[in-house]
Amino acid sequence: MRGRRVDPAAGARAGALPEAIAALSRSLPSGPSPEIFRRAKFDRPDATSALWQLLFRVLSPLPAGSALASIALEVQARLVKSALCSQGYPRLALAQLPEDGSQGSRELLLALSWLLARGPVPEQMVAQTRVPLGDEMTVCQCEALASLGPPAPHMETEGPVDVRHVQWLMGKLRFRWRQLVSSQQEQCALLSKIHLYTRGCHSDQSLGHLSVTEAEMLRDPEGGQQVSGAGAAQNLDLAYPKGLHFSCTPGMGPRTFWNDLWLVCQQPGLLPGDWAAPLDPGGASACSLLFPLRVLLRTLEHENRRLEAVLAWRRAELVFWQWMDTVLGTCAPEAPAAASQPTFLPWVPECGDGELELVVRELRTLEEELREAAERRRVAWEAKARGCGRGPEWSAARRACRETVEKELGALQRCWEQDRSPAQAHGPHRLVRREDGAAGDRDLRAAELIRTLRSQEACLEAMLRQLQGQCRQELARLAGALPGLIWIPPPGR
Amino acid sequence: MSIVTVQLGQCGNQIGFEVFDALLRDSHSSHGLCCKRENEAYQASCKERFFSEEENGVPIARAVLVDMEPKVINQTLSKAAQSGRWKYGQHACFCQKQGSGNNWAYGYSVHGPRHEESIMNLIRKEVEKCDSFSGFFIIMSMAGGTGSGIGAFVTQNLQDQYSNSLKMNQIIWPYGTDGVSLFLKVSERPGVVALACNPSTLGGQGGQIRKSRDRDHPGDLMEHLVPHPEFKMLSVRNVPHMSENSLAYSTFTWAGLLKHLRQMLISNAKMEEGIDWHVQPPSSGLPSLGKMSLNKDLHFNTSIANLVILRGKDVQSADVEGFKDPALYTSWLEPVNAFNVWKTQRAFSKYEKSAVLVSNSQFLVKPLDMIVGKAWNMFASKAYIHQYTKFGIEEEDFLDSFTSLEQVVASYCNL
Repeated sequence: MRGRRVDPAAGARAGALPEAIAALSRSLPSGPSPEIFRRAKFDRPDATSALWQLLFRVLSPLPAGSALASIALEVQARLVKSALCSQGYPRLALAQLPEDGSQGSRELLLALSWLLARGPVPEQMVAQTRVPLGDEMTVCQCEALASLGPPAPHMETEGPVDVRHVQWLMGKLRFRWRQLVSSQQEQCALLSKIHLYTRGCHSDQSLGHLSVTEAEMLRDPEGGQQVSGAGAAQNLDLAYPKGLHFSCTPGMGPRTFWNDLWLVCQQPGLLPGDWAAPLDPGGASACSLLFPLRVLLRTLEHENRRLEAVLAWRRAELVFWQWMDTVLGTCAPEAPAAASQPTFLPWVPECGDGELELVVRELRTLEEELREAAERRRVAWEAKARGCGRGPEWSAARRACRETVEKELGALQRCWEQDRSPAQAHGPHRLVRREDGAAGDRDLRAAELIRTLRSQEACLEAMLRQLQGQCRQELARLAGALPGLIWIPPPGR
Repeated sequence: MSIVTVQLGQCGNQIGFEVFDALLRDSHSSHGLCCKRENEAYQASCKERFFSEEENGVPIARAVLVDMEPKVINQTLSKAAQSGRWKYGQHACFCQKQGSGNNWAYGYSVHGPRHEESIMNLIRKEVEKCDSFSGFFIIMSMAGGTGSGIGAFVTQNLQDQYSNSLKMNQIIWPYGTDGVSLFLKVSERPGVVALACNPSTLGGQGGQIRKSRDRDHPGDLMEHLVPHPEFKMLSVRNVPHMSENSLAYSTFTWAGLLKHLRQMLISNAKMEEGIDWHVQPPSSGLPSLGKMSLNKDLHFNTSIANLVILRGKDVQSADVEGFKDPALYTSWLEPVNAFNVWKTQRAFSKYEKSAVLVSNSQFLVKPLDMIVGKAWNMFASKAYIHQYTKFGIEEEDFLDSFTSLEQVVASYCNL
């Protein structure tokens, strides 16, 4: 925020600020009103919970849906804190805010503007909640690599951790991962079926078949109400499109889906090819299409409004930053971050009991003593280890290590790049099923992509096997060093 | 979320039939005790999971039957068809004319590879019929040659070919059998869970677990109970334990049922009769070393994880706090992570209230230890070894298996 030294004369007419904030608000999902922002500048408590929720929506890795609304405010606040911490948010005051939403709206406002300054937040939010008309997937891995992982949970290690517990958790992760993989496979198989069965149904000849969103609209016109902002069909990578999530609805199995779709495609005049023709209001078949089309239209208009809000925000944001400077000015200057960890004392209830005070005092003295003892030992250790961390041999060894790693990484990247076709663009691509040889010049062929991915996979697997072999050799060497020790490897993966 | 069942050998096929029959009978039973809509959803999900639909509306079990002799398979097929309510697929079975001579090695090394392709083809066809495939139930017996030998071989193959699907092995362990080899081979492979069952109650238990809730992924059960690679053995207990004819004259309370179930868990009882009520969890004041020796003395059964499935009337009022006692569980897993409960109003068959406990605990330690001891004695005195070496099982394989099994026993003992 300090970096944004804007020209004070720019955009300084009356009313520009509320408009800018309103635009920002419209572009964010469930954005709070400009009044909330104004109250936050003066650190009013009634603005706090709205800002916690907004920050949670922005920082949460989960897709939109009703599940988010049911998370308690305390949990949201905690997640926001740890997410900001893991992103490197500099102000300590935020970490110390109470989680019940009773105070701290100004700090939250500062946090929000920090996020806005770092990256294109409104654009990302709009991208997250859009309705893809076609079935999409991304081919590059930039998004996956760039996206920051979920906020780390608040971990407190009390003493040694049993390795079996860690293995237990690893096992659970593995199960979840396997479920995810098989769900994705299932999703792909079903997508393929939909594309295959609805061949010839689309008015757009270059596409030739329906996408899931389109098919679902035909099959279930009343349910088409769900095709809107929250719970919308999402990118294949993220979640199930509504049409494929069979097992949630009682009694509706995959068979009913295919039955319905088949019936629909069989009826004359219901094919989307006739959509372009003027609809006869008296015809029953036409009416059954109007409703979902209207819903889709409303959704798209809603998206357009969000996009326009983003554009308006971008035009007017200078005013906002000027205002934020004033907000920052009203804050008390923060003490420099303490170099050491803040000490955590046990929280003693203020009962006024003399004994408890004695205990607290004793604890404090004990803690002081421990700290001094720890300090002494640390100094002694460092003196002992001084030769290890520094010195010419050490830095030479480290340099050699770094060079090896860089060489290996370089080899890996080269191995990947030689198979990568240069035309691979970033961002989502629409999946279209076509006859052989019908692909255009700018289209990516699935077969090529699969080949590229397979070769990347082979490279990584070779590397993994090599590293595993090294580990095994090292372990065998260690085990061999102790006479009489029998090495029983764990059950195979 | 469909499951394909692979029935292997005589025992596997007989039990498999019982399970499917129990499933469908329960599905059609009228004492649902829940509202109509819920009942319909339950029936629909049961059908989808275990049966596929034919034109004339008779459900076909999603199953593959394998045996080396035709008698039992033919009996099973005809029993199913006679019921009129369901049947097996016409081409879903594989049998030969010769049998396996009660020899595990023959089943594993000879029959397995010889018929691998045909059997795997059958399985693949069944899997392809599923729109949403979640995993396998593999039913086999520990004794005999076909179920155990081919069973082990098929399980390994499934692990290789369908590495991302869940596999649950239901292993029937007739009392007094020394089926070491099967156990070793099966428990070596990760992702495969051994579920040792008492054959007499298997039908009901199998039905109950599999259908506990409409929307549950069988993966949930596995994820809650067996994520750890060294601890993959489950046991199943259910209450009440009585024939359906006497049910009309008995009433049960949740408190009573759960108390019995908990004691069955603690004292490692297999049936409801003869529960040893003297066994109690150790009090928390004892140091952990003392706890272990006390456990050994009083046969206290420490659990890693438990899952309780409650079905029937007033299920929401059932109190499962007794299962959340930390003393029941091992030290490295808190009860909040180790214990799960699934409840549904929809009763099972004619039981107004029923409770099933699926438990990952020390129940198998003693029997395993015993049979490993016996097997080792036989191995050391070279009894019967030629039966195995004749078909390609070397002494090293035996030693590997013994090591793995000892490891399993040791891991469970050290809870």
